[in-house]
Amino acid sequence: MSEFTQPQETVTLTIDGREVTVPPGTTILQAAESTGNRIPHYCYHPGLSAPAQCRLCLVEVEGAPKLQPSCVTQVRDGQVVHTASEKAKGMRQGVLEFYLANHPLDCPICDQSGECKLQDYVHEEGRKHGRSREPKRVFGRDDFGGDVLFYGDRCVMCTRCVRFMNEVAQDPRLTVVERGNRSVIDTFFEDGVDGSPYAGNIVDICPVGALVSKDFLHKARAWDLDHTPSICPNCSQGCNIDLHVRDNRVQRLKPRANPEVNGHWMCDYGRHRFEWMNRDDRLTRPLVREAGEARPAEWGAALSELLERLEEARPIRAVASPFASTEELAALRRVVDALGGGEILFRSPEADEEIPLPGFPQLARRRDLSPNRRTAELLGMERVGDAQGRGGLESLADYTGTLIVLGDALADMDADFGRQAALYLYLGSHPSAAAGQADVVLPIPTFAEQEGTFINGEGRVQRFWPGLIGPEQARPAWMPLGVVLSRLGVGNLPGSAGEAFLAATEVLPELQGLRHETIGTRGAILNEPVLLAGS
Amino acid sequence: MAATVKVMRRPDPGETSYIRATLKGMALTFKHMVNPDKVTLQYPEEQPDLSPRWRGTHRMEVHADGRPKCVACGLCPTICPANCIRLVGGEDDQGNRYPIVYEIDEFRCIFCGMCQEVCPVEAIHVGVHFENAEYTRDRFVYDLDRLMEQDHPTTLLWDPSDPRSE
Repeated sequence: MSEFTQPQETVTLTIDGREVTVPPGTTILQAAESTGNRIPHYCYHPGLSAPAQCRLCLVEVEGAPKLQPSCVTQVRDGQVVHTASEKAKGMRQGVLEFYLANHPLDCPICDQSGECKLQDYVHEEGRKHGRSREPKRVFGRDDFGGDVLFYGDRCVMCTRCVRFMNEVAQDPRLTVVERGNRSVIDTFFEDGVDGSPYAGNIVDICPVGALVSKDFLHKARAWDLDHTPSICPNCSQGCNIDLHVRDNRVQRLKPRANPEVNGHWMCDYGRHRFEWMNRDDRLTRPLVREAGEARPAEWGAALSELLERLEEARPIRAVASPFASTEELAALRRVVDALGGGEILFRSPEADEEIPLPGFPQLARRRDLSPNRRTAELLGMERVGDAQGRGGLESLADYTGTLIVLGDALADMDADFGRQAALYLYLGSHPSAAAGQADVVLPIPTFAEQEGTFINGEGRVQRFWPGLIGPEQARPAWMPLGVVLSRLGVGNLPGSAGEAFLAATEVLPELQGLRHETIGTRGAILNEPVLLAGS
Repeated sequence: MAATVKVMRRPDPGETSYIRATLKGMALTFKHMVNPDKVTLQYPEEQPDLSPRWRGTHRMEVHADGRPKCVACGLCPTICPANCIRLVGGEDDQGNRYPIVYEIDEFRCIFCGMCQEVCPVEAIHVGVHFENAEYTRDRFVYDLDRLMEQDHPTTLLWDPSDPRSE
């Protein structure tokens, strides 16, 4: 109908008695969503095409002979829509009853329970008791390969997974077989979705418990998980994610929608690399080396020792990690500059190739497998070592000046790394042989345990928040480094990550005008032309 | 200030005599010796008659093959107001969801019975039972095996003939 109307800027319609003004071409479902009115739906997903086949989003449009599927019906000027009229509600109740005709109602053992759309909708508007007396058809469960497990009985045939594989991953592996009430999702080949690098997303978009993650199977209930917005630390794409945490352990990573970075998706490579965040072997206390032996010390004592030994002027070199936050790296740069300047090296792993997502070209698993290499490069740090993030530090092993290591675990270095250094300061999260030689060891939290920012490969500053509680004594590196700076008379001691970010502007002029508050959850592009790193 | 003297009256012998009170007390004692509806229970030789809705320590129901009925759905630790249930779910070799760890801290438990009420598979029950004494405190954290071994009767949380207590 819209092609017959005059082109106009906006369309005004009435949904449930409320006037809504939206751009033309918007669907009723999207228009309703913009006012907070969520029309129940299964097959519609903002990242996929809408086949209008679940029949759950049907709404009453005045003048239309039948109920209209709101996910594909475009808005018209003066349209009057009722989403909660007797007719629309009765229809939803009927559709939901059909969905439950073959549903096993195994919520107690279903991993989706608590975040299941069928559970939600039936609880809200469904019938209290089923009337079906016929036996339910039973499919049992099927291994779809990779991390995906399929429970056919729970499926509502929304075909989101089929459309994701066809349209977004563009790797058709799933299809609907059989017809009518025997129809079921199945794989084309024996190995299912195995080897498809983005297949984990079909678990996220499945509105019910039909597709579940093997890794997460029976691990935690959805309502026990705390969700913390964060940034995937596994490549320089910087996908927006949520850390799902229970008992101070990351249980799974889920993508967080950000249309400019990752849409609704994330890759399986990133999704499954979170176990290191739950490591228990941690540096828990500051250590000070006395008479060749590292002894636990109070923070005050460790910092006094450090400041005392920094007073003597010496050449300085440092090792940084592209897994540290922007605030931490900038603080390190400032400390090194304040102590006379010296080179800062970093090592970062690199993959052989990018893994693009064809249906969403902005997103790819980048070659660069560290989240914050861009910051290190902007700060003039030099990348050394091989594609596994090893080697390259041989020249530092026998260095005799002041040596600062931030974040890099030095796992491949000998136990006598840095033994010759006049002062060896190690700031890290995990103990290692090379860290054991340090004169002063200061424990820092991992990115999952602190607030901060990463700058991804395209130059987007993105914030992450603490989802885990780190060791009691661990402090983000900008804190002790800020103490050093304030003692050296360079700047004030930052009291929060936001202040540390502002202080970072001194060595990162690209951050000018940005603040934690203005970056928000969507990120902000640096004030400079965008260069894509790693290509 | 002049000292004032308050004159106390000595009570009559009739008021202070204990003879009448003693006789009254002994009369009550002898009456109870022959009272047919006495309430004293010769525990432990005599066991009390507990209400079928008595809520005591827990018991886990088992299948005929010895597996616990629990499917580790996580509703009891969620509903538990005292936060005394610890549950770790997993999958057994037949693909059934089951509790790898199921522990109830009976010290923390307030015996509200909500775990039994919420259980979708009627696995966990509070029991008609009160003899819980142990020699060590850690024995009061009942693990899954211990809960499955319990053989006391389980509670009827409500009267089946009057479920709403009307």
